[in-house]
This record gives sequence, C-alpha cells and structure tokens, in this order.
Amino acid sequence: MFFATKFMAKMITAVLFLGLVGLCSVRAMGALQSSAAQANPAQQTWRKEFNEVCSKTQAAMTFSQEELTDLILRCDALLPQIEKLDESQKKVYMGRLRMCRGLYAYVLDAKRNAKK
Amino acid sequence: MNQRIFIAAALILVFCGSALPQTGVKKKRPLPYEYGRVIIDNYSHKANLAPVVFEHWIHRSMFTCRVCHVDVGFGMKAGATGITAADNARGYYCGTCHNGTRVVDGKIVFQACSRKANMEEEKRCVRCHSYGQKATSDFDFFKFSEPLPKERFGNGLDWEKSEELGLIKPANFLEGVSTSKGNAFVVQKDFTLDPKVEGMPDIIFSHKKHTVWNGCELCHPDIFMGVKRGTVKFSMVDISLGKSCGACHTTVAFPLTDCQRCHSKPVQP
Amino acid sequence: MPMCSMRKGTRKNERGLLLLVLACGVFLPGNIASAQVYLPKPPPEPSKYGEVILDNHSTVGPGPVVFDHWLHRSKFTCRLCHVDIGFAMKAKATGISASTNREGFHCGACHDGKKLFEGRPIFAACSNAASDKQCDGCHSLGKQGVRKYEYRKFTAKFPKGIYGVDWEAAESSGVIKPADFVEGLSVKKAPMQSREDFALKAGYSWVHPVVFSHEKHSIWNGCELCHPEIFPSAPKGTIRFSMFSNIEGRYCGACHGKVAFPLNNCQGCHPGAPLWAP
Repeated sequence: MFFATKFMAKMITAVLFLGLVGLCSVRAMGALQSSAAQANPAQQTWRKEFNEVCSKTQAAMTFSQEELTDLILRCDALLPQIEKLDESQKKVYMGRLRMCRGLYAYVLDAKRNAKK
Repeated sequence: MNQRIFIAAALILVFCGSALPQTGVKKKRPLPYEYGRVIIDNYSHKANLAPVVFEHWIHRSMFTCRVCHVDVGFGMKAGATGITAADNARGYYCGTCHNGTRVVDGKIVFQACSRKANMEEEKRCVRCHSYGQKATSDFDFFKFSEPLPKERFGNGLDWEKSEELGLIKPANFLEGVSTSKGNAFVVQKDFTLDPKVEGMPDIIFSHKKHTVWNGCELCHPDIFMGVKRGTVKFSMVDISLGKSCGACHTTVAFPLTDCQRCHSKPVQP
Repeated sequence: MPMCSMRKGTRKNERGLLLLVLACGVFLPGNIASAQVYLPKPPPEPSKYGEVILDNHSTVGPGPVVFDHWLHRSKFTCRLCHVDIGFAMKAKATGISASTNREGFHCGACHDGKKLFEGRPIFAACSNAASDKQCDGCHSLGKQGVRKYEYRKFTAKFPKGIYGVDWEAAESSGVIKPADFVEGLSVKKAPMQSREDFALKAGYSWVHPVVFSHEKHSIWNGCELCHPEIFPSAPKGTIRFSMFSNIEGRYCGACHGKVAFPLNNCQGCHPGAPLWAP
C-alpha cells in the first residue's frame, strides 16, 4: 500500500536510506570519540613513563645491575612510541631518550667492568 | 697507465693537502664578550634572515649546562641540533623558554620564531638573527660582568667562584621540561690524571665540580665512553680538536691556554 | 676486437689523466703563491723588522696603522700582549677596530688615557677627542714626521748582534726591563716548572742539531703563548719541524722570521753552524 505509487516508493527508499546513514554516523561518531579518549591517555602514558624512567639518571650510580637492566628495557620500550610522535617532539625526545638510555648502559658497563 | 693515474692522484693530494688549514700558528683570542658565541646557520638563509648569534654568557648565568643540553636537548656543536622555526614555534629547543609566556628572572621571555612572518615581526626576528649586524640586546656584557670575580681567558670571568659566592644562580630545573630536580646523589671522588709530558703538573679532575652543572648524561657516554679509568688516553691534540675535554674547554668553558686550571698538582709556589 | 677496445680504453684513460693534471695545474699556482716557494728571503733592514701594517679599515678613517715591535718589546714581554691582551700573531687577524679600542680591548687595553707608564698617562687610542695629528701618531703609513720615536735614536744604547738589536743581551744587561704584569689586565698565576734545554736532531746529517731552551723562551712568552696553539703537546718525534714550515710562519716561524731573530741567523738555533745565511 505504501509502495502504491512510484513517488511513494522513492520517498520510502529515501527515508530508509537516510535512517541507515544516520545510524551509521552515530555509531561512527561514537567510535571516534572513544578512540580519541583512548589516544589522550596513550599520549600521556608515554610522557609519564619517560619522566619516570629518565628522572632517575642522577641516581644511576646507586642502582644495582638488575635495576639498571630494567631501566634500559623500559627505555627500549619507549622508543617505538616516541618514533610515532610529530616531527619536533620526535627530534627532541629521541635525543633525550638516547642520552638517558646511554647513561644507564654506561653505568651498567662500568659496574660489570668493576666486578671483573 | 694505472701508474700514471696514481702519480697524478698523488700529486693532487700533495698540493691539496698543503692548501688545507694548518697547525703551528697562533689565532686571535676572542674578546671576553665574544667567547662562547655560537653562530647557527642551518636554515636562516632560506627565510632570508641572517644567521643566528647565540651568546653563552647570557644563558649560562641563568641555567646550568644540563638544562639546555640534556633536558631541552641542544647538541654540543653549532648546527648539530638542526633547530627549525617550526620546532621553536611548537615550543621546543629555543621555543621551550622563548615562547612569549615563560617568566625567567621576573621577565617574560620573548617568543622565538613565528608561524607567520610579516614586517612587524621582523624586529623580533633580528634579536637573534643578527650575524653581521649590530645587535641590540637586553643584556650588556660590561654591566653584567662588572660585579663578578675575574679570571684570565675565556669570558674573563670566574664562573665557578661567581656561583659559589651566589652572584649567579643557574637554575637546574625547567618546569614542564626537566624530569628531576635533584643533583647527582653519588659523585665519584676527585682523581689524578698523569700527563705524558714529563715536568707537567698532574691533572686533578673533579667530578663534583662538573656534575654540579652537567649532571651525568651530558658527558657519559657521548663525550667520555671509557668505563675503566686509564684505558682511554687523552692527548692535548685531540682535546684541542674538540674531543673529550675539548667538547667544552675550547669554546665555552675556560680554554686550554689556562693550563693551571687542570694541571694543578703540584704547582710551584 | 682486442685492438679496438684497447685504443678506446687508452683514450678514456688519457682523458682522465689530462683532467687530473689540469686539476693539479689549478691548485699549484695558488700553493706557490702562498708558500713563497720555500726560499728564505733576506730580512729587511733592522728598523723595518717587526713592522706590522694594519689596514683592515683603511678605506674609512685616518689610514693604515704602522705598529713597530721594537718600541713595545723593549717595554713589555711578548706574553703580555699576545696572551693577556690577546693579539693574534698575524697582521689583521685580531680584528682591531676603533670601537674595540675605545671599549678597552686590544690597543685600548693600555692606550686608554689613564694607565701610567713611567709616571705619564698613555695616550688614548682612537679617542673621539683626538686631533688629526694625534691620530697620525699610529695611522702613519706614508706620512712623514708624525711618529714620536725613531729606531736609531731609541735603540742607540742597546747591544747589537749579527742583525739589529740583541734583545737577549739587552735584557740580561738590564738595558731594557720588559714588564710582564699590568694591573687590571694580568692575573697573577703561580709559575709552572720549566723544562730543561733539549736538542732536536736534524733530518740531514750535515745540519747541526737545534738546541732549544724553554727557559729563554718562557721568560718572555710564558707557557700559553706557544702551548697549545703553536706547539700542541705531542709525543717526541710525532711533529716534524722543518725549515719549510718555519719559512711559512708556522711553529718556530710564528716568531722567528717576523719579530724574533730571523731564520738567516743559523747560529741562533743551531750552535756550531755558520753565523748567517744570506
């Protein structure tokens, strides 16, 4: 009955189509929002981790070999996250991470050498 | 045929070699306000601006070496960092402090670089991009250096003593950038290095004096790789070329002509 | 076919060789011009020896400066000017200008109108209040009758050697007393132990060895004038000194040949050698 005339058929198709589009976009928007909410914490976590790991360089000499190895592994885990940053941030933090990891590796090397 | 090419190549090398810059000559000694000046010219010409002139004496009185060279991430050689206007505008490198909002010593630090360049902005640009031009600075070397204890060479100032006396208070922490506030917890004791040339006084190296300003990562392992004392031999020639101690003690820290600052034990009364 | 390919190959090689030789030709004249072809020139007459013409800014202002070493070295040690004040050892390399002088650097370190020498204030260099005649006192190239001191009169009582004044004898006899310390300019430092005299063997058996005296040199130069810029510390035998590098103005030639006794005075360094090489 609704599809009695061609005009009605077109109208109903259009309404259904718009409804479908609307549903999809609502879902898509929802998805976007949730991923954005996830992205910010991700951004914050790498920075937090970096601050935590590399704030200990001044105490490097007091750590045991196991602690230093752990810190080096945490630096290595940060590397892929830093590589994804924007151009300027990547340039700065790659350098800072290199110095931070380099120091821990250096002190570990020195401790191993001293034991020999 | 190969022989002739070889001879020709050898001839070229000989003639080219003798045209290269030479040792055995005395260069001019930079004036006190020139010492520590760094000219940075990676990309300035692309923006039709003069190369940047960076003065160490202004900045080292306000911040430790560590803040800039570790926390902010500057390299130790002119042009090595590859600072761009975009980096500065985004708040990195020079832009870390020079962002128009950070307050240092009660003054707002002017913004470095800009996302859009126009004629009004040019006055601000030439504050740093001033190579070859008479620069107007907020800081005057003579006024600045007058109350500070003097030394010979370099800037003519005893930076160590200036800090001891509290005349300068270089900050070791930059809000939002630095990760830790403390200084090194465990510092190695001062130790002696024996010079190769007989008759030269021994060198006394003080970790304490160096870590106050540099922390650990500035030097280790980039500048000083060796982990066992005595395995790496330092030579004055290498040092004068900028290796090991020469990374700082040729252009910014007291220069190599001040022999007794390092070769201090024993010294004749 | 082998013959054709050989001919092709030779042509390519010859072309390459020609390019290499042309490149040599480009570099060679430049090097010759700079190295003065390794022959020591006879030194000028003693009154002109050690004269430095400074014409960095001669297009503006009162003209090139004529600096006479004989006048200043009788009053001050080499160290005072070349270490404490920081003059370079090559004409025009220091970058002296009227503004640096007025700021109290370079010439202005002493020529400031305030420092006293023998009880009298030393005239200020490049002072805005100076008359043209006063400027001509230093900016005297090509001008007659403007300089205060004249060589022959000034050095009349100084002991003479094979070439001009014997500065060593002049100091040891007390005729001159070069000052090594200027208040406000120099910083007192504990003296470092001087090394003993040592001999340097020549590469050729017919050349007498050089006897080098640290003591004689450090009286006037201290340590920093030579080390580490002119003579970087290196294990014995690693740096090869030659008359060629001396003539070029490197190592010993940084002073000897320009201000200190000229290289023609063989016996000055090689005891037992001929007195003078013309």
